[in-house]
Amino acid sequence: MRSLQREPALLLALLAVTALVLLFVVYPQLQVVLTPGPGGYVQFLEEGTWVGPLRNSIQLTLLSTTTAVVLGFVYAYAMVYSNMRWKPFFRLVGILPLLSPPFVVAAAYTLLFGARGVITYGVFGQSPNIYGLNGVWGVQTIAFFPFAYQLIADALSRSDPRMEQAAHNLGAGSWRVFRTVTLPLSRPGLGAAILTTAIYILEDFGNPQLIGGTFYVLPTQAYSLISSFGEYTSAAALSTILLLLALGLYLAKVRLDGGRSFVTISGRASSMPRPPVSAGVSRACFVACLALAGIILLVYGSLVVSALTLRFPNNLQFTTEHFQYVLSGTNGDALRNTLVFSSVAAAVSAVFALFAGWLVQRGHWKGRQALDLLLILPAAIPGIFFGLGYLLAFNQRWLDFVDRGWLIIIAFIFWNIPVGYQAAVAGLRQIDRSIDEAATSLGASSLRGFRDVVLPMLGGSLRVGFVTTFVRAVTTLSLVIFLFTPPTTVATIRIYQLVGDLNWGAATAYTVSDIGMAIIALLIFAVLARGRIALGAARA
Amino acid sequence: MSPETAHVRVSHVTKRFGGVTAVDDVSFEVPKGSFATLLGPSGCGKTTTLRMIAGFYDPDEGDIEIAGRRVNELPVHRRGTAMVFQDYALFPHMTVRDNVAYGLKVAHVSGADRTRRVDETLAFVGLGGLGDRWPNQLSGGQQQRVAVARALVIQPQVLLLDEPLSNLDAKLREQLRVEMRVLQRRLGMTFVYVTHDQEEALSLSDWIAVMNAGKVEQAGAPWEIYYRPRTAFLADFVGSVNLVPAKVLDVTDDSVTIAFGSQHASVQRPKDVTLAAGQEVKLCLRPESFTIGSSAAKGVEHGIDLSGTIVRRAFLGDTMRYWVKVEDREWIVDQPDPGGSATLDGPVSLSLRPDRVHVIAE
Repeated sequence: MRSLQREPALLLALLAVTALVLLFVVYPQLQVVLTPGPGGYVQFLEEGTWVGPLRNSIQLTLLSTTTAVVLGFVYAYAMVYSNMRWKPFFRLVGILPLLSPPFVVAAAYTLLFGARGVITYGVFGQSPNIYGLNGVWGVQTIAFFPFAYQLIADALSRSDPRMEQAAHNLGAGSWRVFRTVTLPLSRPGLGAAILTTAIYILEDFGNPQLIGGTFYVLPTQAYSLISSFGEYTSAAALSTILLLLALGLYLAKVRLDGGRSFVTISGRASSMPRPPVSAGVSRACFVACLALAGIILLVYGSLVVSALTLRFPNNLQFTTEHFQYVLSGTNGDALRNTLVFSSVAAAVSAVFALFAGWLVQRGHWKGRQALDLLLILPAAIPGIFFGLGYLLAFNQRWLDFVDRGWLIIIAFIFWNIPVGYQAAVAGLRQIDRSIDEAATSLGASSLRGFRDVVLPMLGGSLRVGFVTTFVRAVTTLSLVIFLFTPPTTVATIRIYQLVGDLNWGAATAYTVSDIGMAIIALLIFAVLARGRIALGAARA
Repeated sequence: MSPETAHVRVSHVTKRFGGVTAVDDVSFEVPKGSFATLLGPSGCGKTTTLRMIAGFYDPDEGDIEIAGRRVNELPVHRRGTAMVFQDYALFPHMTVRDNVAYGLKVAHVSGADRTRRVDETLAFVGLGGLGDRWPNQLSGGQQQRVAVARALVIQPQVLLLDEPLSNLDAKLREQLRVEMRVLQRRLGMTFVYVTHDQEEALSLSDWIAVMNAGKVEQAGAPWEIYYRPRTAFLADFVGSVNLVPAKVLDVTDDSVTIAFGSQHASVQRPKDVTLAAGQEVKLCLRPESFTIGSSAAKGVEHGIDLSGTIVRRAFLGDTMRYWVKVEDREWIVDQPDPGGSATLDGPVSLSLRPDRVHVIAE
């Protein structure tokens, strides 16, 4: 505390950070929780309309998490342990879904398996009803197993190869090593990976919204209550239930990994050698990965084909008309909005999170733990809840003079704070405290030391924060669904609207443009950063 | 010591971490221009004390003064102390030159002046010509010199050094020890040095404070610490020692008569210590104070003469160390310049001058 009193500038900076976090993280969330009021909650609970969506959400989360984790585990085991061919290719295919909105899977699924789907109708002449639990379950499995793969692969590759070599050396075969050494050692990491996947699935809005039909889950029910009935009270109460579930999962995850796990995905192979698995296992791994990568490529392939043909799948004549439509007028504006909002938010969020991380990690003041908690909290907040909070808190007439684009940017910044923050904390752990102290002992103030010494050394954390925030901002639908206005429409909203209009050509062209833009932006950034970029797991 | 000459004054300083008292009511003064060392085992509070002088920790109680000014409320960067860290803490993203220039840049020392001072300091520590290297391109010893140059260049009032040689190999450590001492003499700067290495402390310092469990056990000139330790802990921590239980038979103004084993001797009475006849004490006898010879060729007799049998020995290069059984105790005895073939074995005689016997009352 006394060190803060001696440096007023530092104290001021800390107060500013705290005030911003209170205003943009705590205040909006309190708005949602408090909107129904005690009477509202009682009435809402008595009405019982929440029972169905809650049951559906839990059921769907259990089913989709199980299947996504199983597929993700197979992919991860193959990537970390086997000697199969084509690993770089599989790694690349595994990253692709992280760069695109999860709900594109629902769109591709409709194209392939819907009433007029290429496979269902085109091949088998069937027109099944794909809407409902089974459809969402299948789609979420495909959409989220790549996330599960990344998290599980990280947990597995964290186990010390020397332990495995020791077990191998003592005569255990590769499967036995895996079963008796690797799995027990990586159990907390695996548990955290499973829970993180469950949070993604629980909070997913796009897929159930597009093909859920009458199968409502908590996020989609909350959205429809507002968009169809203007029912803010019930929507807020429903979102609060969703928040409690997500918080529960998140706290369980923190209990497992101590909140310490920090996953980054850099597209580079781990260099640690592991005991070899048999040729047969490697071959089986190869076949499994080929199938899974095939499904991912089928999803994106059908999007690309649909975007480039007149009326997929009936008229496969090549056309650029959909792309012309995407780039023209308000459509082009939405694409530009996405690029601008996401870049600005990513830059600000990364720097802000880094500075906050430094204040918390290196400070001696009271209340550090509280600020630490608040900076991690958004990781547990579903996008739909966060967006609703901003709607209730900041959609005020007296704020009309502010461009609404800023609201979206600020929401992006603070929703993504945890990633940059945890990257900063992980980075700071690598830098001995004596480095900061050397600067101050040579006459620099603490803030000067941060600027001259800590900031340049934390380039890696800064880049992780930037890239991840950018990707999450480009791909989120749930966060912006309550916040956009016609002039501040973003790409994901536009895709969602076009799918709703059943304008498949434009919707898929838009999706391809959005993902393409994100990839190009990341490639430019990668060149600027001389290839040293990495993507933090979206839920650090 | 008069207040004017005390450059660093630590008065009744206490520091607690949670329930642990790391530094417990410590007071000392360091004269201007002297080389002062805080010596002690790990966890004794020496580094905590140094960090309180630097300002990285706030004392819970007590005052710290530098050049007659109380600095408790000054932030680290306003104290005029520069620190050399155990791991050097060089900025890895700056060249050697930028590392050394950093403190001057912060202090707004401008272009030409800054360049000149950086070059001079680099030359001073023997690193001229290495300014454009990166820290990871330097050897450990070179990195250590950069750390010293970086701290010296801002001309601090007091230079604080936290075990700066502990990460180097033995040979280099010895060489840099000499350089460090020469450097401090030439600059006339006040150094406060922390180490757990008693040999380093003895060879470098004008003044040593030995700390244990958060307290200063004894402070003074190196030879006082070595030959006149006040406690058994000190005697044992600084150098090798024979601690022999003894009994006081008689006390006069300047001498004590003691009995140990079957021996009697009259030795110098330690200052500031009350002794009474019948009191149990310990004798502090340094291994190199003995003269050892085979019992057949009885050598010089010094007043205290013992005979025993060699139990084992260790060749240390400059000395041969013997463990000699005398009555029911093993004594450590060093024979300087042993030569190749002069190794003793079997029964030997030991001889010791009474003025080499130091009495510890506990």
